[in-house]
Amino acid sequence: MLDVLLQQINKLVYQTSEGMVHPGLTAEWVLAVLSIMMLLTIWMMRKTTATSQLNYSVVTSISNLPFVGKNIQQLITHPTVITGLRIFTAVVFLMVIAAGLFGTQVTERNLATTLTWTIWWSGVVISVFFVGSAWCAICPWDAIATWLVRRRLWKRGSELSSLNIKVPKVIRNIWPALMMFVVLTWLELGYGITTSPYATALLALLIVVLATVSLAIYERKAFCRYFCAVGRTLGAYGGIAPVALRPIDNAVCASCKTLECYNGTADIEPCPTHLVMGRIKQNTYCTSCGSCTQSCPYQNISWQLRNIGDEITFSSRPHWDEAWFILGLLSLTIFHGFTMMPYWEGWMSQLAYTIGDSGQLLVSFSIGMLVAMLVPILFYSAMVSVMHRLINKQEEWKRVFSAMALSILPLAFAYHIAHNLTHLVRESQGFLSVVMNPFGTNTLPLSMQEIHMRHMNPVINDNIVFALQATLILFGFWLALKILRRRVLQYTGFTINQGRIIFIPMLVFILSISILNLWLLMQPMIMRM
Amino acid sequence: MNIKKLLIVFGLFVVTSNSFAHHVLGRPSYSLGEDSNTPPSMQIETQIGAYYLTYMAFPAFPKPGESGRVNLYASRIDNGAPFNGEVVFKVRDDSWFSSKEEVLGTRKIDDGVYRQGFVFKEAGDYIITAEFESDGEPYTIDFPLRIGEPAPVGPIGLTILVLAVLLVVVNITQRKRLGRLKATQHHSEKTTG
Repeated sequence: MLDVLLQQINKLVYQTSEGMVHPGLTAEWVLAVLSIMMLLTIWMMRKTTATSQLNYSVVTSISNLPFVGKNIQQLITHPTVITGLRIFTAVVFLMVIAAGLFGTQVTERNLATTLTWTIWWSGVVISVFFVGSAWCAICPWDAIATWLVRRRLWKRGSELSSLNIKVPKVIRNIWPALMMFVVLTWLELGYGITTSPYATALLALLIVVLATVSLAIYERKAFCRYFCAVGRTLGAYGGIAPVALRPIDNAVCASCKTLECYNGTADIEPCPTHLVMGRIKQNTYCTSCGSCTQSCPYQNISWQLRNIGDEITFSSRPHWDEAWFILGLLSLTIFHGFTMMPYWEGWMSQLAYTIGDSGQLLVSFSIGMLVAMLVPILFYSAMVSVMHRLINKQEEWKRVFSAMALSILPLAFAYHIAHNLTHLVRESQGFLSVVMNPFGTNTLPLSMQEIHMRHMNPVINDNIVFALQATLILFGFWLALKILRRRVLQYTGFTINQGRIIFIPMLVFILSISILNLWLLMQPMIMRM
Repeated sequence: MNIKKLLIVFGLFVVTSNSFAHHVLGRPSYSLGEDSNTPPSMQIETQIGAYYLTYMAFPAFPKPGESGRVNLYASRIDNGAPFNGEVVFKVRDDSWFSSKEEVLGTRKIDDGVYRQGFVFKEAGDYIITAEFESDGEPYTIDFPLRIGEPAPVGPIGLTILVLAVLLVVVNITQRKRLGRLKATQHHSEKTTG
């Protein structure tokens, strides 16, 4: 019986005749994940007790950790530590630009492509799981832009440095960040910027220019808040992270009249994204810059440890644009998976043949991307519409759409990490040799033997990677169900028995996407470099 | 096996393996032959109309004054049969505001490959165009070819220029704004006082 099941699951895997691909999840893992998913679904539908928790609970402040807490708190709030890290990332970033412009154009031998796309782009999403949006605090785009415009290493800049114009209302949302994410994905997967050190360096320079222009014209850090696709991605995922900057004692913030976290002080910058720490409910816009920890006269802001996923389960309130950003994240992460399957090229080739596309097949790719993005969006909208009818209240469809978006965020996050894990583990061999020779001087492209060696010797054993990927998919599914259950009850005010049928449309969506993600992870993935 | 045969075998292998690592339709990639005497090559796979095309440039990073060669493999998408006719190779300068174009040569198939040699005197970005006719349909396909190192000063210079102009303009504007603000405050203090 088990053998038959495993055989049937194996039939879902694309069999490549030749070519260099990373192996996908084995049938045993898939069967185990599917079984647990079914059990979780039954549990979710049968469980009769609802949580009465209204807000997520902070487990502890880092400053309260025994023995080392105070020291860690002092260390991470000291401006020289963050400034030192910013200087380090900026130097590495400038090195990446130099390597891209001056170094070899062989993808796997140049620091620009290997560090940017294999290590950083894959690793930065994984980092959210451990340190939330901490990357934003040491982001070199913002660091260089700040030093150029403010002309200070860390202290508050002069009034002359920026025009401080308010961002026009029409773009005071994260639609620009979503657009930028779509463009970055198109450049990455369609244009193939990941394989060109020169183009990678140009993109890095372009983003520095955009960040600097934004900082010089608009008030505070409009680029970070509204335009940066990476920052908003980390911000959205940051709601799941087990750490975040939060008040140690909410009562202190409630009685605060001066709001140094929001306004800054003579020496310290105000919150770059207009947040008041006493009122912060979600991590979406926190760049973890630490200005609030330095400016708070009561030293009431600290890194807090909390339960994974509690923020998006209990306290986040996504707006219309944020909900679309989450949906965009989900569809684009799935799209990433599709483009790295051996099927994809055949589909693009067929489409190009049909429409008469040639060259780099960018028209075909763009059509494919549009369709791949539209399918999950339309499916989600349809399920929200069904749910909206079932609720049968005078509620706006848009509100249901926004509220339910949080339940799909863990699916995007889990698949994003599981997918990136393959890149990081299987494509980062040889990175040390690139660090030793960042410009790839006098190097040759990888020989077939080297490619095979890399392919056969991943950094981490395959079974460990499979176990992590399976766990991640299960984690995403479990958290999605937990949020769905909580949100539906909170939103409708129904009891569990009344609300059970309302779960079903979104449950169908969550199950379908989880199974699709699992199927994508089963497929062999084309080696990028 | 001599180098010529090796190249042909390698070329055919590239044509027949669509899902090979590094090769994405239309995107340049660099590879090293298994024979240590083979120089690294740049290759692009793509398709146009009824044909799969593979274009290979040797060496991968040609320099001014250095002789090089492009190989073109064309095979039908439906049955894999190689195109058997004449291919005209042209070259044009791909730099801005340039329209220089010349014919490199007309080649017939040789062991399934169309080969065209070249020597460029000046570094720069060029487009090699391969043109042929099949079933009464004209086929034209462009491939980029970089001779010498890309110009790094351009992007860096442009970035520095844009940022410098921006910062100066912002600074001057802010100084004027603050000056006007101070003057207005001074004026209102005088009138009220």
